[in-house]
Amino acid sequence: MSEPEMTVGIEHETWNEESPYRIPSRKLGMWLFILSDAVTFGAILYAYAFVRVGTANWTRPFEVSSIVNGVIMTTVLLVSSVTMLAALGAAKHNQRSRSVTWLGVTTLLGILFAALHIREWIRMIDAGWRLFQNPTGGPVLFGSTFFCITGLHLSHVIAGVVAIAVIAIKYNRGSLSTGHVESVGLYWHFVDLVWMFVFPLVYLMNAK
Amino acid sequence: MNNTRTSSLPGMKANWLLCFVLLCIVGIEVFLTYQHLSTGTLLAFLLVLAFFEAAIAVTYFMHLKYESPNLAWSLIPALIFVLIMMAHMLPDAMRLLNLRVIHW
Repeated sequence: MSEPEMTVGIEHETWNEESPYRIPSRKLGMWLFILSDAVTFGAILYAYAFVRVGTANWTRPFEVSSIVNGVIMTTVLLVSSVTMLAALGAAKHNQRSRSVTWLGVTTLLGILFAALHIREWIRMIDAGWRLFQNPTGGPVLFGSTFFCITGLHLSHVIAGVVAIAVIAIKYNRGSLSTGHVESVGLYWHFVDLVWMFVFPLVYLMNAK
Repeated sequence: MNNTRTSSLPGMKANWLLCFVLLCIVGIEVFLTYQHLSTGTLLAFLLVLAFFEAAIAVTYFMHLKYESPNLAWSLIPALIFVLIMMAHMLPDAMRLLNLRVIHW
């Protein structure tokens, strides 16, 4: 499916104008969304930094097992970014079934990441951590910052998994183009990029 | 219309190599975590490494390197500006530690 050029029609006359930045509007829209989402995550991480710096006896609860789990999650997410690139590469070479296969692998890796994350949450909740509850008796803000930041990221991961699955199905049917695969790939890489900040700032900075 | 030329994009071998580099950086971050550094020093190291990882991801995984330079110049400076502006409130957090506690 070829991308149409922009047309501006005034009084039955049309001009074919090149799109800004020479990319489809879908791709530009995704980049602008990524920019706004990056600012959102930046704001929430700054808020976390603010309360952490301003709290005298901040709790650092993460055992080695939690850090190991975090490293595994990071590995899964990085590999999923590479499989997403494989899907895009296959799509650009018109290898539709190969691309859909790699999209499926990316979806599964995203589900694995979400499962590992939820398992970590359940472990912490079982230990007594809540949004406003600290089982060690320290500041309760750790719970709220941890669950809010990781919850926001997890919601992005789940949304990305759903989006990739939908695009894989529709691309397989031929109703979507390579451009759609590229756009969802951009979003998935952004989700991976955010985790590269969340893991060190939330997990490693709070390791025992 | 799409300016990213398929032939100039990195191949899968390069992508896996970049993935390995990113994992090595994560390994360095974990190593530094257990070196008993001060909080400020550890934070500085982790932030620098995280930004380096982000630069690799944006440049090579998101293919910003292969797009029109105007796109990168439009997006990145604006993001950096907003992040620097948000950082200006952080010194207030230091003041929180020294606020007088009122005992009723």
